[in-house]
Amino acid sequence: MKRELLAIGIVILILIGLPVGVFIYNRQHTNPDSPERLITIQAAVPEAGGFQPSAIKVTAGETVTLRFTSVDVTHGIAIGPGLGIDLGHVDPGHVQEVSLTFEKAGTYTFYCNTWCSPDHWRMRGTVDVIDPANPDAAPSPYHDPIIEQLVEEGVNIDANTTMDMPDHPQPDVLRFDQPASIEQGHILAASLVIPTELADTEWRLTHTPIEGLALLENNNPSISMSDLINVIAYMWTSDTPPEDIQWAEEYYNKNCAACHGQTGEGNGPAADQTAQSPVAFADFTYMFGMRSDVLYAKIRRGGMGTDMPNFGTLLTPEETLRLVGYLWQLAFKDRPN
Amino acid sequence: MIRSQRINVLQHVPFLRGILKSRLFQPVLTISTLFFFTLAIVTGLFGTPVGNRNFGIVFVWIVWWGLLIILLVPFLGRLWCAACPIPVPGEWLQRRGIINRRKGRLSTLRWKFPKRLRNMWLQNFGFLGIAIFSAIILTRPEVSAWLLLGFSLIGIVLSILYENRVFCRYVCPVGGFIGLYSLMAPIEVRVQDPAVCATHTPKDCIIGNEYAYGCPWMVFPGTLERNTYCGMCMECIKACPKNNVVINLRPVGSDLMVAKERRLDEAYKAFIMLACALLYSVVLLGPWGWLKQWANMDTLPHWLAYAGVFLLANLLLLPGLFTLTTLLSRRLGGIQLPLRQLVTDYAYTLVPLGLTAWIAFSFSLVFTNGSYAVAVLSDPFGWGWNLFGTTESAWTPFGSSLMPFLQTGILTAGMLFAVNTAYKIAGQYTPDPRRALRGMLPIAGFITSITFVFLWLYLG
Repeated sequence: MKRELLAIGIVILILIGLPVGVFIYNRQHTNPDSPERLITIQAAVPEAGGFQPSAIKVTAGETVTLRFTSVDVTHGIAIGPGLGIDLGHVDPGHVQEVSLTFEKAGTYTFYCNTWCSPDHWRMRGTVDVIDPANPDAAPSPYHDPIIEQLVEEGVNIDANTTMDMPDHPQPDVLRFDQPASIEQGHILAASLVIPTELADTEWRLTHTPIEGLALLENNNPSISMSDLINVIAYMWTSDTPPEDIQWAEEYYNKNCAACHGQTGEGNGPAADQTAQSPVAFADFTYMFGMRSDVLYAKIRRGGMGTDMPNFGTLLTPEETLRLVGYLWQLAFKDRPN
Repeated sequence: MIRSQRINVLQHVPFLRGILKSRLFQPVLTISTLFFFTLAIVTGLFGTPVGNRNFGIVFVWIVWWGLLIILLVPFLGRLWCAACPIPVPGEWLQRRGIINRRKGRLSTLRWKFPKRLRNMWLQNFGFLGIAIFSAIILTRPEVSAWLLLGFSLIGIVLSILYENRVFCRYVCPVGGFIGLYSLMAPIEVRVQDPAVCATHTPKDCIIGNEYAYGCPWMVFPGTLERNTYCGMCMECIKACPKNNVVINLRPVGSDLMVAKERRLDEAYKAFIMLACALLYSVVLLGPWGWLKQWANMDTLPHWLAYAGVFLLANLLLLPGLFTLTTLLSRRLGGIQLPLRQLVTDYAYTLVPLGLTAWIAFSFSLVFTNGSYAVAVLSDPFGWGWNLFGTTESAWTPFGSSLMPFLQTGILTAGMLFAVNTAYKIAGQYTPDPRRALRGMLPIAGFITSITFVFLWLYLG
């Protein structure tokens, strides 16, 4: 009789104790005594629902652990803006987690940064960080001085290039029969007369290389056009320090290269799936007619009707400018004269 | 039965009789497997939906399946059925206990299981019903868990309605093919001297006694000549007061020659199993991704087309081709027997071929995907656990260079065995060896052609 009771006990233990034990162990495993809240976020391709949950709320100052798991394909997880959190790949059935404290109220975005499906760019979720002192406060409107300046100026952010605008100079002297050389430009710059405005970083932010080239040509009439172009290439790529370029290159490769191509040729593996062909940053002619602030605005706001997603919720303005700096590198780098 | 070719294991390993006579023997097996079975269901229902990271998928459809078809069935016949956890809750309810032999009859409603269903047809259609959903069942833990749970619930319901293991004997889709392929096993539970049983009127092995229950599989060991319906639970060894029930080692495939018990439902089981092995090899291992998507129900019309072709191949195409082959065989061998009987008899040649085809298929499955088990052991739910420090172990297919040799070897062995079986079966119709040879030639051609299709699929 004893062994019969023992057997019944073991069977009950298996049928009831095992499931209960599993959940108790899992609670222990996820450290329930810790004040940290654990939020499990399941990642699936957007066609299958994207992130679940896709919106979470935390209180400013609260430490939470975000645990990401993938249920279908390999995803990449990053959280922004300004947090610098990139958890890397989450393979199906694997787990990546991060504990973090959101100090300030606001909205943050977690997003997939590995091309996972045709609708990859939709794969985002939000963390609403609430101010404990004023939990019902509506989010304050976001101001971006660069974009507001563009609007005030009447610049059409959605224009293909700034050269499309009627009041933009259309120099007929420009010949792109030779690629630019940043190195040559660097050497030549010291021997040329550089107009004051061209030397000003803020001026270059709001003007196209063509406008800069016109100024440079006026001040250096005896210099060949190809040399002037080299100097312009140098000047437009010299604003961003190497460490920022390195960060931007990594970010670009993860988040932009699928459409725009790793070398900026506009021929990434997903290029043929977008509503409009992705811009080729390596297109020298296109970029000579483009302004940094317009690139900045396009990145932050997204491209209307083009399938270019907005990155304004993922990147800080400073990070966006670093990325713009890298786009100039794509336009001019590694193209020896 | 050629008794001289049998080796009585209990005579050579006497302590084994003690183990098998113990009432702990089967409960130890079933309680152990019940643990893994429960874990498979819980992980399936609550764990990650990613199949290769879920214990329920990896341990049921890779580890268990590999063990079953590569080791257990070929070498130990139906021994798995003695350890299977699926019917035991129902059996324990019937017996009102787990280990001890309780007095009195089994607690059931004592309905009579319909006579027309006392065969393998339910198992055949059950297996096909599952097979057409297999691409889904094998990859989606939740579906897999509900299926296992469903089996167990059906087992319980049938145990309440009927006495003994009606579920295992007539319903379990897995039990059907285990029974068929256990004909090949080099092991059997048999009586040592049928005359002892004939004269022993109490028939303890059927009605039970204070030491054991009557055979849960509703089989009389005294006349047992094939493994198909013996669940190897060892109750008859416990029950027999004469110690007349033994375990024998025997030549592989001995049961195939037992002519009087060949039946069309079993023949169809052989057709279905061979066709499924072929179709699974095409769908699951072949390079045709679209076919896998159709099987995975990417759209309903695609799946319906796939299921239609699948059923057609199993129920009509392969049996039809085999019937035509048998017709030719009858003509060449000048055998004057009804076609139905010939088809049924010759279908047993597909048992060794089918078993080896499944082993070859399972080599691919297990060698390629077996390493998932290492990670899943540490994190059975895919919840980020690391119980044994192996969660991050990478998927590493093993034995890929060895696999073509193993597959070729096992398929060739199966083919030769099947051809030899065909010759022996033909020999049962005629004493003239030349007529037997002529009669078996078309069957041998059929077997060889099927083997070449498998080799082409595996070796390219």
